[in-house]
Amino acid sequence: MHRALKVAAIVIVGYAALALILGALTSFQAIAEQDKPHSQRWTVVNYWSITCAPCRIEIPELNLLSKELDAVDIGLVGINFDEDNREKTLMLAERMGIEFPTLHQEQVDALSVSPPNVLPTTLILSPDGVEMARLIGAQTRASIKVQLGQLIGSAQ
Amino acid sequence: MSKSILYLTITTLFLVKLPLGSYAAEVTLLRSPAAEASSLSRVFADRSGRVILSWVESDAKNHALYFSTLSKNKFSKPQMIASGTDWFVNWADFPFVITTDQSMTAHWLQKRDEGTYNYDVVAVFRNPETKSWSEPRVIHTDGVSAEHGFVGMLPLSDDRTLISWLDGRNTAEHASHDATGHGSGGMTLRAGIFNANGDNMAEWELDELVCDCCQTSIAMSSGGPVVAYRNRTESEMRDIFITRLENESWTTPTPVYVDNWEIAGCPVNGPSVAALKDQVAVGWFSAKDNQPRVNLSLSTDNGDSFTNTVTVAQQDTNGRVSVAMLESGKVVISWLETAGKSASIKAAAYSYNGELTESVTVANTVSSRQSGFPVMTSRGDDVFVTWTEVSSGKQVRVARVRF
Repeated sequence: MHRALKVAAIVIVGYAALALILGALTSFQAIAEQDKPHSQRWTVVNYWSITCAPCRIEIPELNLLSKELDAVDIGLVGINFDEDNREKTLMLAERMGIEFPTLHQEQVDALSVSPPNVLPTTLILSPDGVEMARLIGAQTRASIKVQLGQLIGSAQ
Repeated sequence: MSKSILYLTITTLFLVKLPLGSYAAEVTLLRSPAAEASSLSRVFADRSGRVILSWVESDAKNHALYFSTLSKNKFSKPQMIASGTDWFVNWADFPFVITTDQSMTAHWLQKRDEGTYNYDVVAVFRNPETKSWSEPRVIHTDGVSAEHGFVGMLPLSDDRTLISWLDGRNTAEHASHDATGHGSGGMTLRAGIFNANGDNMAEWELDELVCDCCQTSIAMSSGGPVVAYRNRTESEMRDIFITRLENESWTTPTPVYVDNWEIAGCPVNGPSVAALKDQVAVGWFSAKDNQPRVNLSLSTDNGDSFTNTVTVAQQDTNGRVSVAMLESGKVVISWLETAGKSASIKAAAYSYNGELTESVTVANTVSSRQSGFPVMTSRGDDVFVTWTEVSSGKQVRVARVRF
């Protein structure tokens, strides 16, 4: 019970931090963020594979999250871990119901991150492209928001 | 050509850290029978010493499975076994071929129309008497539209093949899903024995809950065939387990080694098992606490117990392990050693008490999924290794390593 209370407290604090941060970002984004290049923002990077059952399950959560984050200029992009060609990758992304952008291989190569040892893995990159968090296993909107809230909060 | 000579010179002379008394193995690059745009290769040696190489050639719509036989260090003209536009082919889960003196078995994965992610394991069997291939047949009897794959195959005789596979019948869409995205029943490990016509002679469920995306591996010990696989527990431990077919039933699966690697996900990095008489060797990858590691465990009682475990590589590796047994009793393990986007295919021989005796770089490659899973097989004290070379395109390569 004690552990459950601690977890709940962390989640609440994380949500609160993220709400404050998202609110602040929304207020300032019109004047401060509009001209910022896509890569110079906080970005959530999700590695997926067609063979990975938990990847498929987290996709609806990520689709919803992507819309929420886009409103506050935080990116969410996907990477096909299997490195299929572009045509097949887009076909698989459509099959999996992925609504957020899937990176080209050239864009993946340009990221200075090491590929995961486990699927699904979700990374959080700072605006300068540094890997700030590596989340292993299926994620939810809440779990990613908590991480984002903590990271952005500590970077302010 | 000059690149090949340079490469061979470097790989045969370049030693990694070896203890006193150890020396490098000799690597000979063989002429690959596979065309350009080939990948997903595997080598297999039967009991008579015949070495067969299989691979996949793909274009935008079609996949085709080929094989070629090695004779006096030259591969025969490639022969196509089957092709299809409805195959499921993945860098980690792909078709291959095994052989005996007289027969062959090949498999591929065939997509179901009605399932988004669903595919069946289809196999063909070459009859040793008629010398003809059977009709393709789905090897599992569930009839459920679900994922089936990560096949292991082992000839039991000229007219019997043991096949293991991951079977998602309990994860089908009608099943409820838990928070980690798995069906309530989870992925199962199953195996069956098939005759030369492809008839199912026996089928078993070996484990009711296993890791979803890791290869299974089979070898023949003197105590019977053993299957190694990545297990999954309710608490998401993903350690390597083994079970053996003994008196027509399978032993209770037991851990090869307790890594306690807890992950609610798929490593896509299955174990490899090899056996010689009552010696069984299992190699595998783990990354507990995000510390990548390749381990090798050795058994002298047909896999009943593993008393000797050595760490083969750590930190700079992404696994992709293959294991082979030499006639001398040594064990050879291969893995990918990574350096950013580059990688080397390493192979090392160990005595059966776990001492490193030889080590060599077989080839340089890339660390991405494009390079696939290098696969080894042994004949006597020779090891044959195949992999996909990635440059402007992809092409299957094969080398002999003499320990």
